[in-house]
Amino acid sequence: MLPFVLIERLSMTLDRLTMTLQLLQQTCVYLVIAYLLSRTPLFIPLMNVTVRPSHKAAAYVIFSMFCILGTYFGLQFDDSIANTRAIGAVLGGLLGGPSVGLAVGLTGGLHRYSLGGPTDVACAISTVTEGLIGGLMHRHYVGRRQFDRLFDPWRVALVTFAAEVAQMAIILLITRPFEVAWSVVDHVALPMWIANTLGAAFFMRILQERRLLLERQSSVFSTKALKIAARAEGILRNGFNEDTTKRISRIIYEETGVGAVSITDRDKILAFIGLGDDHHLPGTPIASEQTLQAIIHNQVLYADGNETDYHCSLSPTCPLGATLVIPLVGEDEQVIGTIKLYEPRNKLFSNINRTLGEGLARLFSTQILAGRYDEQKQLLARSEIKLLHAQINPHFLFNTLNVLSSIIRSDPERARELVLHLSTFFRKNLKRPTEEATLGDEIDHVNAYLQIELARFADRLTVKFDVPDPLRSVALPAFSLQLIVENAIKHGIAHMIEAGVVRIEAKEEAGVLLLSVEDNAGLYGGHDHGDGLGMNLVDRRIRNRYGDSYGLDVSCKPEVSTRVTMRVPIQLVAA
Amino acid sequence: MIRALIVDDEPPALSELRVLLDEAGNIDIVGEAGNAVEAIAAINRLQPEVVFLDIQMPRISGLEMIAMLDPSHAPRIVFLTAHDDYAVQAFEENAFDYLLKPVDPLRLGKTLQRLQRDRAPQDVGLLKRAHPLRQIPCSGQNRISLLRVEDVEYVASRASGVFVVGEDGKERFTELSLRTLEERTSMFQCHRQFLVNLDHIQELRFEEGGLGRIVTLGGRTVPVSRRFLALLKEKLGVD
Repeated sequence: MLPFVLIERLSMTLDRLTMTLQLLQQTCVYLVIAYLLSRTPLFIPLMNVTVRPSHKAAAYVIFSMFCILGTYFGLQFDDSIANTRAIGAVLGGLLGGPSVGLAVGLTGGLHRYSLGGPTDVACAISTVTEGLIGGLMHRHYVGRRQFDRLFDPWRVALVTFAAEVAQMAIILLITRPFEVAWSVVDHVALPMWIANTLGAAFFMRILQERRLLLERQSSVFSTKALKIAARAEGILRNGFNEDTTKRISRIIYEETGVGAVSITDRDKILAFIGLGDDHHLPGTPIASEQTLQAIIHNQVLYADGNETDYHCSLSPTCPLGATLVIPLVGEDEQVIGTIKLYEPRNKLFSNINRTLGEGLARLFSTQILAGRYDEQKQLLARSEIKLLHAQINPHFLFNTLNVLSSIIRSDPERARELVLHLSTFFRKNLKRPTEEATLGDEIDHVNAYLQIELARFADRLTVKFDVPDPLRSVALPAFSLQLIVENAIKHGIAHMIEAGVVRIEAKEEAGVLLLSVEDNAGLYGGHDHGDGLGMNLVDRRIRNRYGDSYGLDVSCKPEVSTRVTMRVPIQLVAA
Repeated sequence: MIRALIVDDEPPALSELRVLLDEAGNIDIVGEAGNAVEAIAAINRLQPEVVFLDIQMPRISGLEMIAMLDPSHAPRIVFLTAHDDYAVQAFEENAFDYLLKPVDPLRLGKTLQRLQRDRAPQDVGLLKRAHPLRQIPCSGQNRISLLRVEDVEYVASRASGVFVVGEDGKERFTELSLRTLEERTSMFQCHRQFLVNLDHIQELRFEEGGLGRIVTLGGRTVPVSRRFLALLKEKLGVD
């Protein structure tokens, strides 16, 4: 008897071990499916503890599917099924909360019930219970805000094991006759405990892995993006040219680690850094078909060298084998150039760098736009100057004509001289081929102007020049002296009741030209504030051109004198 | 003959205007002035019927000058300007007419015809609506200074003219009449010959015979006549 019993026990144990192994095999297939699905966007809602209804719905659908899958992947035993249904129900509850757990359990349970057998009711009830157990665990950890514990495979294993124990208890309690229940439990308990516990733990491990990967990717991505953005800050505001694009390319090259980086405008390469820089030379016209297409169609083009062919159009020995071309977009959606990333033949284009490339192109487009805006502002300032050149004060013009009509009567010869001065003044005003003039030119202009004012004010104005001849060829911004002298007359002398004196002096001091205009009115900044704009423009223009140690300096002793001194470096204009 | 004063700060412009008026005839140019202060003095002295007044002048423009005229004998004003920026404002200031420089003789002829037809004196009421004075032109040795009304302690009218006394105690001669100053500033007349700035009063002393004496913040005294004492007390809120 004893040996028979032993043999009997041994064969029973073997049976169960076989069944366990078979169920584990099924679980493996089940997990492979889970693994494959985890690579799809379908699983993204499961990566976090879900609160949003849409995510909860996704969790319900996915885990219900796994729940039913668990039933189909089960092993028939008599009329019952050893299965891995519990994994779907428990995980559904764990990640989606009690409601999702309950719903998944009900779905899986009803499905199981529809298949019939002696344990159908018990199995249906226990599946719902398992879903609820997962849900309660969810509530427990969420309440303590210990989200990470929900993703801990060990804890998941424990819960699943507990749920399976509960299932067996429910089968024993509900299924009648009890002998049948006992027989079923006796046979499937061990395989199901092992398979479900391990299966749930591995399933969670898959999720956990995905989650870590996503996090790492996004943190690498944002770190890179932030670093590049910080280093590139403001560079393109200085213009979209070979110098600035070279600096930007260098930054992208260093931060992304791609094989090479290039920036082009619509026609030519502006900058190229990295592999192949021996034949990809800045300044040469764009040769690559991809780049031309990207510019024409305002489209990101990707030639991975595999599906889409890429060959360097310049050199057959070029190591580069893949390229990503991203258009840079300026005003009105106009493509103003491209950023190109390259990888050599033996390297794959990382997804991160592709996405990053597109984001950077947007960032730089914005910067270029900002730069253009700055440039426009400067242009505007320049045109303000032009306006001042051309703008002749109507009071000056009509007063001059009035004086002329008087002098024509009294002294025709003098009137002729005045007409000549007036034409010199207008000619100088209208015709300014260059933005730079010599001091001599400026003095001639100012002299013509002052001759007219002398006629107007007669003995109320005296003019004194002290300009050494050698300094007459020093360069200075056109029209600047004229503006200062005009100010001294218009806002100084013209407001004096007693006799006015204007003194114009030029001297050299340590390589700097000091040009001063002094009046004896001393009214600067008072009474009428009209003297601001023109003087500011002159000051700004000198600073822009020669640096901040040059410019205008105003000193005013109220009611006594105003002295405006211009400082410019001594640079001679070739005759 | 219409008695005219011509005012312009540019000598050639003055001589041009003189020639044009002479050619037009029926005009007696009684004087010339090169700035607003000279012009006010000339108007007070010569009492012309019409003033040809340039708008752009040193320190005090033609427009500002009208507000300084004594309303009791205000002449008619014909403005002259090189550019018509000011035209609208000129009419708001109740000018009789305005002319653009260089002056067209035909246009000047029309102005003179109108003057001939309409020799009624300038409407004084209109001039009263002119802006209050913020500064008082004072002539020194060879300079004209503008004294802000709030810096004036009092104004005294003497046989030698009207004098403005500032916080510094200096007396400055002005061409403006006491009446103009009384009407165009917030200063209070406390005596037939004195205006006082109420903000500069330190003390009011009462003397025999219903007279008073003001001590200013600067320690100078200003007489108060019987006629004005009650009104002054009311103004100061004392009984």
